[in-house]
Order: sequence, then C-alpha cells, then structure tokens
Amino acid sequence: MSSRVADAGVEAPAAHPSPSRLVPWFAALAAYAVPIWFVLAPMALFLGYSFFSVDKGNIVFTPTVANYVRFFTDPVFLPIFWRTCLLCLAVAVLCVLFAFPVAYFLTTLRGRRRYVLLVLLLVPLLMSYVIKIYAVRSILGGNGMLNRALLATGLIDKPSMLFVFNLNAVLLTLTVLLIPFAVLPIFLSLERIPKALRHASADLGASNAQTFWRVTVPLSLPGTLSAMSFVFVLAIGDFLTPQMVGGQSGFTFGRIIYSQFGTAFNWPFGAALSVILAAVVIIAIRLGGRVESSRGRIQ
Amino acid sequence: MIGFKHVLGAAALAAGLWASSASAETLRVLAWEGYADPDWVKDFTKETGIDVDVVFIGSDDEIWAKIKGSEGKDFDVMAVNTAQLQRYIDASLVKPWDLSKIPNQKDVLPRFRDLSAIKGMTRDGKVYGIPFCFDSIGLIYDTDKVKPAPTSMTVLWDPQYQGKVLAYDNGEHNFSFTALTEGIENPFHLTDEQFAKIKDKLVDLKRNTLSFYTTADEAMQIYHNNDVALIWANYGQQQLKALQKVGAHVAYVAPEEGSLSWLDNWAMTSGVKDQAAAEKWVNFLLDKKIGAQLSERTGFGNTVTASSNASDGDKLVWLESVEDPLKRSDLWNEIKAAP
Repeated sequence: MSSRVADAGVEAPAAHPSPSRLVPWFAALAAYAVPIWFVLAPMALFLGYSFFSVDKGNIVFTPTVANYVRFFTDPVFLPIFWRTCLLCLAVAVLCVLFAFPVAYFLTTLRGRRRYVLLVLLLVPLLMSYVIKIYAVRSILGGNGMLNRALLATGLIDKPSMLFVFNLNAVLLTLTVLLIPFAVLPIFLSLERIPKALRHASADLGASNAQTFWRVTVPLSLPGTLSAMSFVFVLAIGDFLTPQMVGGQSGFTFGRIIYSQFGTAFNWPFGAALSVILAAVVIIAIRLGGRVESSRGRIQ
Repeated sequence: MIGFKHVLGAAALAAGLWASSASAETLRVLAWEGYADPDWVKDFTKETGIDVDVVFIGSDDEIWAKIKGSEGKDFDVMAVNTAQLQRYIDASLVKPWDLSKIPNQKDVLPRFRDLSAIKGMTRDGKVYGIPFCFDSIGLIYDTDKVKPAPTSMTVLWDPQYQGKVLAYDNGEHNFSFTALTEGIENPFHLTDEQFAKIKDKLVDLKRNTLSFYTTADEAMQIYHNNDVALIWANYGQQQLKALQKVGAHVAYVAPEEGSLSWLDNWAMTSGVKDQAAAEKWVNFLLDKKIGAQLSERTGFGNTVTASSNASDGDKLVWLESVEDPLKRSDLWNEIKAAP
C-alpha cells in the first residue's frame, strides 16, 4: 500500500507525459476500430464469400470466380442490372428536379421560418419507410385514392393503370420517399453561396434569371450532384419498394440479391452480386464528390 | 440472521423447482403457437397428473436447431410437418409410435385414418407422425367478378382476368401447383423437361397477374385498392375469413387437380423420457372438443372433426421437400426477370 503510494509519488511527474501521448493513440484506435470492425470487416467478409460456392444447401469454401462469371454470362442478370441503374438514375434526376425549387425557396426565407420549414420537410423521415410504401400503394392502386379522384373529376373514364404495379410505380414511390434526402445537400450548398456574389452580378447588370443560371446554379452544382449520388445510392440498394409496388414487371437487382439470401440460400452468389452493387455505389459516390473537390481547388 | 434465513429459503425453493423440473412426470413439448393452449394443458394435467412444459417455436429451422442440438434429449414430443419429418427420421432423432397406445387415432377423419396412405408418415412399416393440424392452399375468387365459380387453378391463366390475378411470390410452390394443373404425377420432383414446360407456363402466369404478394395482410391491402378477381391463397382459410370479415364477396375453391396442403404431426423424439406420457398427450389432443377448438381458434383444419378447410371429397396433395430448392428459386428469378 505505502510502497504503491510512494511509487506513484515518484513516478507521477515522469509518467505524466505518457498518458497524454497515449490519449491520441486511444482516440485513433477508437476512431478506426468502429469503422474497421463494423464497416470494413463485414465488407471484406462479403468479398471473401463472393468467391465461394454452394452445393446442395452447403457452402463450399474453395475459391472460385464462378459467381462473377455467372453474373456476366447469364442472360438474366445484366439486363436487370442496367435497368435498375437506369431506374435509379431517373429517380435521382427526378428527386433533384423536385428538391431544387424547394431548397431554393428555403434559402429565400428569413430566420426561424426557414428552419421550421426545413424541419417540416424532414418530418417524413421520422416515419417508418414501410408505412410510407403502404400509404403510397393505397394512393396508387387501381381503385386507389388517385384513380378515384381522377374518376370523380371526370378527367378519366376508367381507372388508369399507368402507375399501378409496374416500374413507373417503383419510380414514383422511390422519388417520393427520397426527396428529403435531396433537399438537404442542395439547401446547404445554396446557403453557402455568398450573397455578395449575387449582388455583384446584379450590379454588373445581370437580370434575375441571368444571375440564377450563371451564378447560383453553377455554384450549387456540387451540392446538387452529391444529392443526386446520395439518392441514387439509396435507391439502388432498395429491395422492398419494387417488391411492394413493382408488381410483375418491377423486378430489380435488389430483389435478385434479396432472393439469394432468402429462398435460394445461395449466400456466395448473393455476396458476389452485392460486391458488384457496392462497386456501383462507390463509383456513384466518387462521381458525386469529384465536382465538389475540383471546385474546391478552383476556389 | 434474517439474511441467512432468506438465503436458506431461496435455496430450498430452488431445490424444489429443480426437483420438479427433473421429475419424470413432466412432459416436454415443442410446438407451434396454438397447438398446446394453456386450457388444454391444464385439463391434461388434471386428467393424467402429468405436468407439461411447452416451448413454442417460430420456424422449421428453429425446431431442427433445438432437436438436433440436443440430439433429441431436450424434448419428448414435437410438432413438425410431413416434409420436415423426413430429415428427423433420416437422422434417427424420432422414435416410432405404438398406435395401440393412441386409441383416439382410430376415430379421426377418414382421410387421416390410414397413415400408410399419407406419404412420409411411415417408414419401413413404422409410424413416425400422428397428424394433428393442416391447411390447404386453394383459390379465393371474387364472387361478383368470377362467374361461374372456378374449379381449377387453370383459371389463373384465363386472359379474361388479366391484371386481376394475385399470385404468391414463391418459386417452390408455384412450380408445384402449376405441375398439378399440367397433370404431373409428382409435382415435387420435376424432370428437366417438365421444368422447362412449367417455366414457360409460369411466364404466362406472370403476364396475367397484377402482382405477387408475400403476406396475407399485403394481399388484403392490394385487394382493397385494386380490381382483384382471383387470389392464389397461400394462407388458406385464414386469408378467406379475414377477407370475408371486412365484407369482401369472396369464396374459396379447392382445385380439382388437387390442393397443395401442409400437415403438421406429433412426433416423439429419440430422447423421450417417458414414452407413456407422450402417448397420453397425443391421445388427449385427438379429441373432438379440442379439435373443434383448434379449428375455431387458429382457422386451421384438425384431424378429428370436419372443418371448412377441406371436405371429404377434396383432393389434398401433402407438401414434400422439393428436388432442388435452389434451382426452383433461380428459375423463379428468371421468370420474374422475363420481359
């Protein structure tokens, strides 16, 4: 007991710098451990599994590229893959088209009103996404709210099937679900544009439209593109929306991956498809981020 | 001092509990919710003096994990379906029943009386499963829209109902029922030739459907918001009753080519401690009153009294494990991906 006290007394001044040297180490370890353990390790596992195969319900742990060969040669997968990419690109473009005016309107508001409205726009994110899909489905159905309203107003004389259980329905539902994710980055980039630049543009004789197209839009491009890549990534990973509103023609890549882990019980193939999807996602994020960084350099 | 007394009391209580759970007169039952209701357990204990410990399970895989994990020693009786029962017999995890000890089995509905006639129930002349609960997968149709009443699943392909058909999102079942409509003898073991033919049929079916559903609730919601005439009723009578309850004009048909049906059985584990108790349990449950209560409470068919799940003339095709689930699932994806 006493010796320990004595030790501490002697060593304390000398040992003092070492904990402070250790602290950043621990902080770094904690900062790295979480992403390594919860993000990188599972992804590495996926990559590893993608080189295995399945025989009669058991995973065979002999490395093979058969899963990747199958993806590129089987006539089923590539068309669905491209169709899904195209669909998600359309969702991203639509989301940005809807979100931009909203975000722009927000920046024109002053003080508290701006943030109250922003919070209101984000409220849908608090609601379960499955419930939102159910809600959309009862709006879009053949006898859904939309069709009944259109019939009642006499705009159509029989229920329109344009948005009922097909790829259009998936497009519409994903767009509705993901708009809030597009509003935020666009709003942030618009907000960052110094007012002085717009005033300068006006002082130099530009009309409002000219200022908008030649100053505001280019300067907001990084935010708009990151909003697009954000929405694209969220949409391409979705498998529930196509299942719930896609009907018999709204089959997407996410559904194929889902089935490999459920009914097919072919984890290695599912892992290979996921790796391919992850590659697409990484490319999309890089594209979304590129403009931002190159712009940053110019400024 | 008081603390010591408490500890002593707790120890005595624990010892008492230990003794009661270890006594030979406790039957350990592994069953699905609804197969061992508290009032039945209470009556059983009153009648026989045997205590019952029930553990409820949520999936076939869970039963397998529990039984295989303890090599059958943790439970005395369990409820499994006919298709699943096979792997337990293969692994010697179940023991044959002595039918003379289960006299009530003689008075069950005609369909369940001859156990050797139900595929998968017996092996080498020994009975491994006692049928208890079943349901069939039939066809639900809207009585206002579909006239006359259909008699076969082939109506799902009728172009008259294009875009008004709700099918089920499961490759395994879809191949089986389509094989039945094609008159294929064993829908669970298809040849390559049959696979190709059924696949084409399913692509046609897909073009006639509005959507594929997975849960009964989902089917109900789609029915409400769309013009649906026919539903391939994976959830059988439960699904029908739920629809009728909300005022839908629907009826149920058991197709003439046969309905895919599941059948849950009581099986005795190889690690059974008291065989007589297990026999008494099953005999007790094969009772008219309990059978009627089972059907009333769960909506499933029982084997003792007639229920709306199947009339005597309906042809039921008991589900078996299919030849290659992976192949069926891959083909189902191809069908869904087809333009």
